[in-house]
Amino acid sequence: MEIKYSMICSIVLESFNKKEFLTFVKAIAEYSETDVLFSGEGYNGEDKSSCFIMPSESFEITQETKLDDVRKFIYMDDREVLGFLSYDYGLELKGITSDKERDIELGLLKKYLVYARHENNKLTIESDSPEIIDSIIEAYECYEIKDDNLESCDVSCNMTAAEYESKVAEIIEYIRDGQTYQLNLSMMFETEMEVEPMELWAKMAESHPAPFYAFINSLEGEIISTSPERFLRVEDGHVKSQPIKGTYRFSEYTPELDKMLTDSRKETAELSMIVDLIRNDISESCEVGSVKVDNHKYIMKVDNLLQMYSDVSGELNSDKDVIDLLFSAFPGGSVTGCPKKRSMELIEQLEPHARGIYCGSIFTIKDSKNMDSSIAIRTGFCKDEELKFFAGSGIVADSEPHKEYLESVSKAEKFLESFK
Amino acid sequence: MALLLIDNNDSFTYNLHHQIIRLTGIETSVIFYDAMKDHNLSQYDGYIISPGPGHPSEYPDYSILFKLEKPIFGVCLGMQLINSYYDGEVSRLSECRHGVTLNIEYMDDIEEVAVYNSLYCNKVADGLEVIANYKNIPMALRHKQLPYAGVQFHSESFMTPNGDKILNDMLNSIGIV
Repeated sequence: MEIKYSMICSIVLESFNKKEFLTFVKAIAEYSETDVLFSGEGYNGEDKSSCFIMPSESFEITQETKLDDVRKFIYMDDREVLGFLSYDYGLELKGITSDKERDIELGLLKKYLVYARHENNKLTIESDSPEIIDSIIEAYECYEIKDDNLESCDVSCNMTAAEYESKVAEIIEYIRDGQTYQLNLSMMFETEMEVEPMELWAKMAESHPAPFYAFINSLEGEIISTSPERFLRVEDGHVKSQPIKGTYRFSEYTPELDKMLTDSRKETAELSMIVDLIRNDISESCEVGSVKVDNHKYIMKVDNLLQMYSDVSGELNSDKDVIDLLFSAFPGGSVTGCPKKRSMELIEQLEPHARGIYCGSIFTIKDSKNMDSSIAIRTGFCKDEELKFFAGSGIVADSEPHKEYLESVSKAEKFLESFK
Repeated sequence: MALLLIDNNDSFTYNLHHQIIRLTGIETSVIFYDAMKDHNLSQYDGYIISPGPGHPSEYPDYSILFKLEKPIFGVCLGMQLINSYYDGEVSRLSECRHGVTLNIEYMDDIEEVAVYNSLYCNKVADGLEVIANYKNIPMALRHKQLPYAGVQFHSESFMTPNGDKILNDMLNSIGIV
């Protein structure tokens, strides 16, 4: 028997702001398993948030998974899929062996009974069952806002400044040998989690907005992603990627700082390299002649960081779908380095930890020509009341080891502050 | 005509692939370096060697390609492989440059080109001539008799303004049109 989910029932809540959406998410998460994508205030063109409620089918991605199995699950009906691929799945795709302990599945795809969309101060809840929608509204109306303060906790890091810096020096030698031109080196932080993961996520979403927040219940634990970075978007076959490279930490913003970043030869080279890499990665699935760099060296502000990014676009080949594109371009080049495979081999050797969800991707797929995805940076994973989070920076030939260490720590700051 | 592009596990291979097809219209297949020795190479009319990580000495299988005496065009590592096959030398640059452009002397012009450059041809093989330079760094090489040529820079990069013209000239010069 084929079950058709038509999502025929919907209810619209007007004048519903982002703060109320976050309260809604917390309320529903107490009622039923709930996953979320959230775009914070202040991001042009990134205004949509979604809440995915009551997963009804899921599909785990393993070493053995074939792309056609992925297609079969995603395209079985019209419902949107929310999913993720861990960085470690990228190692498998590139044929790089790892003996590090993995704490999260390689990837997961989920479909739901209820989808709640938030856009333009409006929440639309859709399902094929009016009873379920009623129960959700009721759960929201009965919810009592709690004010769980985060307890301060000790955070440990798996590299000291000296260790990180000596690895940077080692990477520069690899660069001088031509083994890599740029390599992303990360460190891992660990702490106990005394609050619900959703509480921490929602607090961060409110205090440190970014365009690609995500909260996902994986099979092994909860993903807390606070990413500012898009990986790949496809709209009716039009492909867009927005790699970020080049970082400047400020305490007080002035517009002159933008110019300081765009004028920096080092930061520009970091971004340009990844732009060439992303052109390559999407070209495999795009029409010849369609791949273009639309905007180079744009600036975005996220937390206390200025970040430089570019827009790279192309047209999906008529015989390719979003799954071809996602799996051939994965993992995102801005978090591996260039060239990708050799850089990933070196990362595997240099970093003591498995990256897990960090530097993987979180995505939604509507159909064969429509998807959106983020790069899971500024991201943590919560399991057995322990939270791991990660931060890193791109190392190039003229990197200064101590500055790179400080840049990495600055990217972990929003997590670190939560436990102070 | 059919071409083969050999991918040294690089991250710019498909930029080059698209540029070649766009400029020549010639059907161009891509295989990984590891697959080369088990591949029927003689079915193609010319070969392109992609950029890639490391030193030419890490890629011994290319000697098969040179025995075919058909057009070969090498980019970055690809050019260094041509030089190494003819007993030239490749070593570390004192100042490596990646993801930036340089104004090089190319034939009789000055061209702005993108470079990803850790190693360089510190000794050019006897059978090869230098056709482009940046200071003491050979930026393009051509075999004096055979249809082999290579560039140290990246015509396929979005940072090389005249990349199409340069690639077209280079491919023409070895009989790929």
